[in-house]
Amino acid sequence: KLFHFGPCRVSMSVTEIRSGFTAIKANIQARDPIRTLSILSHPHSLHKVKLLDRCCITHHLFNFYVDKVFKHCKTEDSYINRKISSIANSFLSVKRKLGQCYEQNKCLCGQESKEKFKQILANYEGLNVTSAAIKSLGELDILLDWIEKSP
Amino acid sequence: DALLPAPQNISILSTNMKHFLTWSPVIVRGETVRYSVEFQGEYEREYANESWIPICECSLITATVCNITEDISATVAYNLRVRADVGARRSEWGTLKGFFNRITTSLTPPLMKVIADGYHLLVELEDMGPAFQFFVLYWKKGQESRMQQTVVKEVSSVVHLDTMEAGPDYCVKAQAYVEAINRSSSFSQTQCVRAQGGTSMWLV
Repeated sequence: KLFHFGPCRVSMSVTEIRSGFTAIKANIQARDPIRTLSILSHPHSLHKVKLLDRCCITHHLFNFYVDKVFKHCKTEDSYINRKISSIANSFLSVKRKLGQCYEQNKCLCGQESKEKFKQILANYEGLNVTSAAIKSLGELDILLDWIEKSP
Repeated sequence: DALLPAPQNISILSTNMKHFLTWSPVIVRGETVRYSVEFQGEYEREYANESWIPICECSLITATVCNITEDISATVAYNLRVRADVGARRSEWGTLKGFFNRITTSLTPPLMKVIADGYHLLVELEDMGPAFQFFVLYWKKGQESRMQQTVVKEVSSVVHLDTMEAGPDYCVKAQAYVEAINRSSSFSQTQCVRAQGGTSMWLV
């Protein structure tokens, strides 16, 4: 499906990513003991991001998951690892497409998106790396819901 | 103990987004040889220390084929490898020559059945799996320029295309489309029918 993030248009199989995530969501969220904290939604929901900032935030979020999150999510469960691999490879494919658009300077990063992404990193670095990675993975549906709501 | 040879002739059979890894059997007289398969996506190569992931359904199997469809679920380049085990003896890995990307899967035209149910033009399509949608084209014979198209996203039941006039033949053809790789199959054979009161008539 084609998604519009400001000037960037990216084809993405959200259905496939979501089905991979749904298969492991309960298991992953059960590994996250800190239910009162959110990486993506604290203090403000992604839904507050302005249209103009969507492209920049999406670009940084895909980089964040590929560069920082997935590698720290390895579990003892082979099935879970396989599903994480398919999500990670799908994210890598999207990250590439977004990266091309970003490099063509089509993605404007306003102050708000910089602040929002800085907050996400602060939330992430406020926890130990494995807990932060598992929590971020457990919040993938928040990201997918926000992406699918793109106009 | 002679070293166990690694599996050879490793290749992929991929049709309609179903992907199978196959290899030649390793022959050891009087012994049962077992095989194990692992995969590595682009993510693993570039971000996870080139790690490999075992496919447990294909761990220590005796067959020389493994269904890898579930694991090839992104449109990136994958590496695949197989090794053999006999008792305590284990071979080196045999690795697929080159990468496999699902974008190269071969797509066949959908099986299709066109039905004239009274004056209703219906089509029944093969269920090719969740990744598939269909473009169905239909027209009055001789009026190809006024061809109409409908997109069928889910194959759950018969699809109603049109209400026919009595007399002319109505023709239909369909192609499969996979959004995840943005590719289509060739068109199916055209099938034509004609409405005739309450009875169905097939004309090819």
